[in-house]
Amino acid sequence: MNDEIHTLSGAYALNALPLRELGEFEGHLSRCEACTIEVRGLQETAARLGVAVAEAPPRALKSRVMAQIAEVRQEPPPIDEEPPVAVVPLRRRPGRWALALAAVSAAAAVSVGVVAVNEIRSRDASIEETQSLLAAPDAVVRRVAMTGGGSATVVASESRGKVMFTSDLPALDPSRTYQLWTIGGERIRSAGLVDGGGVRTATVDLPPGTDHLGVTVEPAGGSEQPTTEPVMLAKVV
Amino acid sequence: MGFVNDVVPISVTGRSPELDELLVLVARGDETAFERLYDRLIASVFGLIRRVVRDRAQAEEVAQEVMVEVWRTAARFDPARGGAMAWVMTVAHRRAVDRVRSAQASSDREDRVARMGGEVAYDHVAETVTTRLEGERVRRCLDGLTELQRQAVTMAYYGGYSYPEVAGLLKVPLGTVKTRMRDGLVRLRDCMGVER
Repeated sequence: MNDEIHTLSGAYALNALPLRELGEFEGHLSRCEACTIEVRGLQETAARLGVAVAEAPPRALKSRVMAQIAEVRQEPPPIDEEPPVAVVPLRRRPGRWALALAAVSAAAAVSVGVVAVNEIRSRDASIEETQSLLAAPDAVVRRVAMTGGGSATVVASESRGKVMFTSDLPALDPSRTYQLWTIGGERIRSAGLVDGGGVRTATVDLPPGTDHLGVTVEPAGGSEQPTTEPVMLAKVV
Repeated sequence: MGFVNDVVPISVTGRSPELDELLVLVARGDETAFERLYDRLIASVFGLIRRVVRDRAQAEEVAQEVMVEVWRTAARFDPARGGAMAWVMTVAHRRAVDRVRSAQASSDREDRVARMGGEVAYDHVAETVTTRLEGERVRRCLDGLTELQRQAVTMAYYGGYSYPEVAGLLKVPLGTVKTRMRDGLVRLRDCMGVER
């Protein structure tokens, strides 16, 4: 357990983390059972501080709320998806995926550092680009396990010629970097470098004939070809 | 103006299975359950928001947003992962903090800092708290914290400040504030007898 990040549980329960650290800590929470249990207890505690200052609102508030909920559709229950999952054509899963991923992308766009390598661009996806990708009739969405814990979501569309990768990536030693690869048969092409230490989203070109997207850890600056075992490999067709 | 006066107080000491059940029913679209949940929680929700946002009209707006969000997203509530009261209060606190942080032009922030000092929140809280039986316990537990723990926790929770802001206001290192928030909350948790 990383003691430094673990100390943030109090600030998290008090909703006092700046955006950047919020993403990191939530990523950490998803992998740290002990932290999750502690946070729960601290949130229950913080809630009691709120109950202690209870104050009656105007009665009219209730009629406004009741009138409004009559016109607000509820979210369906979340579907528990354990990695890996089968390819899911987007049209079968409307709304939730698109919204969640667009939100992830928008949040990531604030602080993501994605570096171009070679001539292939790897950069933050704009919301429009993400929506366009998700709306593609042939979009495939996969959630796959990452070696060492956590998961990644990959959205690919052959017709749009793009693939989006998003994951909460653990920080790496500065001498190393994550590198994305598009793989088609024997052909492996670098798709760019991504740093770690939080939620990262990158949309890259999907060359014709690509069947997999891979991620490896490489020396800083990237490699011509992968030099280590992939930490993630996702089918994109 | 009419005010709600039939609000059932919620025990500070324990989790309410009844509230959990209500929220589960709400997730299935049960408007009657939502109304009962509203009656049980609205005073806590509104009081907290008002403490953070301060402006009464804005607090009403935020409270309305929060209760509609509770309705809309109730399916995300999982009783295995915590109680309904904490779930709703977490939503309320986030919304309240979002409101003050987004409204914070720098001059506005200066005003809030000047108004709040660094201890006003607690004093103000203490007044309100004494009027309620449940609050007595919270106050006693707050009194059991060190000065720095108490300030760090109350400035974040009631003031809506991020921990770097609290560190700046109290002129203590970031790491110290993080640690005091955590050990302060841990001490409160143990004092209040929150289930783990």
